[in-house]
Amino acid sequence: MRFAVYQVSRKGGRPKNEDRMGYCYTRSAGLFALADGMGGHPEGEVAAQMALQTLAATFQHEAKPTLADPLRFLQDAVLAGHHQLLRYATERSLLDTPRTTVVACVLQGQAAFWAHCGDSRLYLVRDGKLVVRTRDHSYTELHGALAQSGQPVPTDSPRFNRNVLFTCLGSPGKPVIDTAGPLLMMPGDRILLCSDGLWGSVSDAAITEALAHRPIQDAVPELAEQALRNAGSRSDNVTVLAVEWEADEAAESTQAVSTRALGEEVFASTIQASLAAGDVAADELDEAEIERSIREINEAIKRSAQKKP
Amino acid sequence: MSKPKPAPLPSGTVVGGYQIVKKLAAGGFGVVYLAEDSDRHSVAIKEYLPASLAERSPGELTPRVKPEKQPLYRLGLKSFFEEGRSLAQISHPSVVSVLNFFRENETVYMVMNYLQGDTLQDFIVTARDLKRDKVFRESTIRSLFDEILRGLRIVHQYKMLHLDIKPANVFITNDNKAVMLDFGAAREVLSKEGNFIRPMYTPGFAAPEMYRRDGTLGPWTDIYAIGACIYACMQGYPPNDAPQRLEKDRLALSLSRLRNVYSDNLIEVTEWCMSLDPLSRPQSVFALQKELSRETERRYTKLSFSERLKLQIESLKTGAKT
Repeated sequence: MRFAVYQVSRKGGRPKNEDRMGYCYTRSAGLFALADGMGGHPEGEVAAQMALQTLAATFQHEAKPTLADPLRFLQDAVLAGHHQLLRYATERSLLDTPRTTVVACVLQGQAAFWAHCGDSRLYLVRDGKLVVRTRDHSYTELHGALAQSGQPVPTDSPRFNRNVLFTCLGSPGKPVIDTAGPLLMMPGDRILLCSDGLWGSVSDAAITEALAHRPIQDAVPELAEQALRNAGSRSDNVTVLAVEWEADEAAESTQAVSTRALGEEVFASTIQASLAAGDVAADELDEAEIERSIREINEAIKRSAQKKP
Repeated sequence: MSKPKPAPLPSGTVVGGYQIVKKLAAGGFGVVYLAEDSDRHSVAIKEYLPASLAERSPGELTPRVKPEKQPLYRLGLKSFFEEGRSLAQISHPSVVSVLNFFRENETVYMVMNYLQGDTLQDFIVTARDLKRDKVFRESTIRSLFDEILRGLRIVHQYKMLHLDIKPANVFITNDNKAVMLDFGAAREVLSKEGNFIRPMYTPGFAAPEMYRRDGTLGPWTDIYAIGACIYACMQGYPPNDAPQRLEKDRLALSLSRLRNVYSDNLIEVTEWCMSLDPLSRPQSVFALQKELSRETERRYTKLSFSERLKLQIESLKTGAKT
């Protein structure tokens, strides 16, 4: 399996970044995930981190090196994250449970599978066109979907915020987890996962456009930058992760991953295994970000070296 | 400071495929080494090793950072990245170029062009010791700063400020190119977040807004330093520092000593750059470049009798030499 991946998370105008992202892979399967811890509830960043860790740990446990049933894996692992959050809140006697959205995608064989809960999204762009976009679990999108399918749409009561989510991990009810796939991947297909910080201020058309026409290592930071610019000083956290399937080997960039090089038992991950590491509040620079910064700098060096006469 | 400085890497150590030849310099932020790449080309390597946060005993490779200092250490690291990121984008002969950036020994390294030559500071000291009436020729000063300003303009275009321009950070290579060194974007962030690294500015070259916590820094801040550098190139010594000037400003007076030696225009430009009020300075490098490159006939105005008298009285009072 061969793919290129690029991820960026920016704090925006918020006091902390409650978004988390990461990916992990074995020789024959890859998991890409993103979670957006919810404000208005305690410890959003813990919720997001836990959801990802549970996904990654389950993946590591079950992908040997392929997942027997990717859709079931997604369903179970996302739900397991939910249970982790409830347990975490109970153990600490929190009055309220930390909550998070999550979107995750598995690439295995020649196919993609994905799941989401809440309003973090997945976009899939093929040949310059948007092929897939997940529907948020918000009242806005629900109404849109109902209207489209010709079903009666409940009339809004005026005090009702339509952007409110009706499900997420950590809420009292059982979360709604939508899964989809398999979708057969074509070389050059691009998948993007993002938090609402991106789609809230950059249109689907602009996201598709950037993803379709620019290398992901340009498109991802540019989209994040655009979102921050559009949202101004009060910008939400913006997190974007993009994967290019079977990226052109000729255009080998430093973030291209070929899993064939991995041994049978090997598991690679950018998702931190322990919560403790994420607990250092001032520590915004995690390992993945350090590696990414170094990569980015070296790419910039290469680019400017090319510009030199 | 009682704490010993972290030990530099011993000569011969190999990091990231480069072999350390010797330590060149050490600052608050880390150590700069002369090293050789695999083709035996010389490079300069800057190691992130903040003296106040990291410890390393002689012979050790990996610095130790106490847990309570981790957040600041990481914050500094972020700034180090910012410096690398900005420099990496800039490809200009007057700005030191970054060749590589890598991680090893649990810290990070920035590989830069190794330049051979001397700093402008060295040149100023040598020239002033010759005790001629001029430290540098005016044409030399103009062409030198024309080169530096071209580089600085690009730096500002990348939304970066140098914030520590001084003759010691301007390098004159053996083939006569001026190159700016030691980019201080890092310094800015650090001084904002916690004043844990020694002076963030060099007296004499730092604009008054650098001394204030709430001071708005901008291109004008670097322009002040450029003015101070031109001053040093004419006078042989750095100007009074900004707090002194705020108390009693002798800049105009000391510049008047240079009248008839340097053109009125160059003296006026220097004074303009060094205005205490940021808004009174040239607001962009471009504005300054335009003024400096204006090729009109140079006017020289001699001191009048009363001005000479004033100067003499001033020197008697302060005991300074004229």
